[in-house]
Amino acid sequence: MSAKPLIHVVDDDESLRTALLELLDAAGYEAVGYASTGAFLLEPPPDRPGCVLLDVRLPGPSGLELQVALQRQGISLPVIFLTGHADVPTSVRAMKAGAVDFLEKPVERGTLLDAITRALARDGSQRAARDEAHRQSARLALLTPRERGIFDRIVAGKLNKQIADDLGISLRTVKAYRAQLMEKLGVSSAAELGKLAGEQRDAPA
Amino acid sequence: MLVLHSNSRLAPGNIAADRGLREAMAGSEARPIQVFSEFLDQPAFGGDAYERTMTTYLREKYAVRPPSAVVVVSDNAMDFVMRNRAALFEGVPLVHLGVSRAHLQSFAPLPADVTGVPIEYDFSGTIAQALRWHPGARRVVIVTGAAERDRVWEARLRREVPHVTGEVALEFLAGLPTKSIVKRLGELGPDAVVFTPGFYLDADGRIFSSARESASLVAAASAAPVYSALDGFIGIGVVGGRMPSFEAMGREAGQIVNALFAGPGRTPLRLPEIVPATLQVDWRQVQRWRIDENLIPADAVVHFREPTFWEAYRKAAILTIAIILFQAALIATLLLERRRRRSAESAVQKQRMELAHASRLAVAGELTASIAHEINQPLGAIQTSADAADLILQAGGDRRDDLLRIVTRIRRDNLRASDVIRRLRALFAKQEPERQRVDLNAAVGDAVMLLRTEARHRKVFVDLRLLPAPVFVLGDPTQIQQVLIILVLNAMDAVQDVPEERRTIVVSVDRSAEGNLITVRDRGCGIAPEHAAKLFDSFFTTKPRGMGLGLSISRTIVEAHGGRITVESPQGEGAVFRVELPASDMTGPVSAGSARAA
Repeated sequence: MSAKPLIHVVDDDESLRTALLELLDAAGYEAVGYASTGAFLLEPPPDRPGCVLLDVRLPGPSGLELQVALQRQGISLPVIFLTGHADVPTSVRAMKAGAVDFLEKPVERGTLLDAITRALARDGSQRAARDEAHRQSARLALLTPRERGIFDRIVAGKLNKQIADDLGISLRTVKAYRAQLMEKLGVSSAAELGKLAGEQRDAPA
Repeated sequence: MLVLHSNSRLAPGNIAADRGLREAMAGSEARPIQVFSEFLDQPAFGGDAYERTMTTYLREKYAVRPPSAVVVVSDNAMDFVMRNRAALFEGVPLVHLGVSRAHLQSFAPLPADVTGVPIEYDFSGTIAQALRWHPGARRVVIVTGAAERDRVWEARLRREVPHVTGEVALEFLAGLPTKSIVKRLGELGPDAVVFTPGFYLDADGRIFSSARESASLVAAASAAPVYSALDGFIGIGVVGGRMPSFEAMGREAGQIVNALFAGPGRTPLRLPEIVPATLQVDWRQVQRWRIDENLIPADAVVHFREPTFWEAYRKAAILTIAIILFQAALIATLLLERRRRRSAESAVQKQRMELAHASRLAVAGELTASIAHEINQPLGAIQTSADAADLILQAGGDRRDDLLRIVTRIRRDNLRASDVIRRLRALFAKQEPERQRVDLNAAVGDAVMLLRTEARHRKVFVDLRLLPAPVFVLGDPTQIQQVLIILVLNAMDAVQDVPEERRTIVVSVDRSAEGNLITVRDRGCGIAPEHAAKLFDSFFTTKPRGMGLGLSISRTIVEAHGGRITVESPQGEGAVFRVELPASDMTGPVSAGSARAA
């Protein structure tokens, strides 16, 4: 599932864009260029690891606006901003919105590649977390309503006895369901179940 | 009254004396006097027989009209009458005219009825004068003739002249044949001065009707200046001399005649002792012999002097000079005025150019950010391309094609950056405005390129509509671009607050009836009618931070190019600025362009 990372370069300056693509290519990355935010949004990016190199000042909607649009569309590609001249308010706004970095043109190769490495790392971890969450949701979906009721109560931190009382079933039955759902969720110990439950509690629905 | 002349009727001395005589008598109070003239025509005719004939002739002729007075002119006539007085005009008062004092002494004592003012031929005075005028003279050559009277004069000259010549050699050409006189005179050098009283007869027996005739011959032959002492010789080539005037002699005689006719009761006439000799000189000869003008005494009578321009046209000359001076003063004043105005104008012009430059710098300030971006962009690309190339080289392997492509792009980006700088320098360099052929298409295109980033930043779209072929105007490209930039920046300000879809500025280049046209059209807030009139005034602005110089400078520039700038702002339609510039009348690419268009 996880392929070679793809880096998106959004810059209206054809020359700079081409140079960036060339550099990324030389650095061993696969990269694709867009002349405007519109061109980038026209086709949703493939679900591949990667990041976006985004010029702040673009014709039409700006880079900052694209950043917001991506988030709204649930595209979590990390964004590295490139700018001709970095003014403080713009950079603060970009960083607050979750940009990986805010680089001033002309950008040093090292600086750029570092930023890309970091962005890809962030993308990787985000992607891993998201995969994990997906996996868990999928497992949770396997649970029967009864098992789910018991899981929810475990997550809520209730003891077997309390659960048995809540549901009006025997302690023994609770234990059997518990073993069954642990198997379905792929956990082997109460501790793991507790951790999973914790993650489930923190993660958004 | 009878006037008896010694020689020919036509002798100039006779004519002059006659003129003086008649002039004096015309002033008389007495009744009109009849004047008869007779001429003895000596020395052509003479001798006892002739004298007798003449005596008879005159006596018989004038028996019917006896003269009341007889005037004898010159020695010969006096001699004749005195000799024959018993037979001729006895008892008639005799007035002598032009008879020398020396000659009169031969009659001493003179009868009481013989009166007149004697004359004195000033031979030695004339020679002395000649030597003063020719300080280099070493010889005085005196020419005389063979007639009886000529001998008398020769004797007198030999007697008198040595007193004045001093160390200067004295030489007589006396009683020679005319031919040899002419030859000798022609051989004279610059050290000689010639004097002649004229003569009546030469050695060959050639008779001259008057002394003037022979003197004229002498003057014509001589290679040295010729002087004489007889009135009437002036004008024949003689330089001059101390001469008693025949006319003056005539006048004196006339006075005496008047007194005689007035009657004996009148107070006796007080006669001058002598008719004075005056220095007379021929101006042409003065110049011919280069006589120093300063040596000519003030009382000398100068003949034949062309009145100088000043003498002839004094009044006209003064008036003319006055007018010329006045005009010159006027012209000088006007020139001065013009120069002052010019320098004032050039000062104003210079100030305007300074202002125009200041305004360009202000524009530069306004555009700094976008221009920096414009330069930074290719620089960033260059750096990135170099980094890419570096990485490719580090990785090894044969990727020549990639490297070549990168290098090409680096060049292109470099060119792009330097292009921006070139345009900038052209626009903001402080230079004297120049007149050259400007392609309006290119100038407008370049200026709009400079504004591209600014436009993007302000989210304004600049729609550039150029002509397919170049169009030329005569002017300063920098200033034309400045006008365009001012207009486009103004248009950007105008569209700042309108919705984004209306933020389009159309910049176009067109041909017009009177030249070429740049149009800047926006759909912005427009111009309030009350502002329209003051739009191009200095320091008129509606912008909080504006200086109010842009449009005023634009108008100054456009008018300096012989063009005009106009504005139109229909209600709610934004504004249209038109800059019309005269087309460059040079053909070439222009006509080629129109040919292509056709």
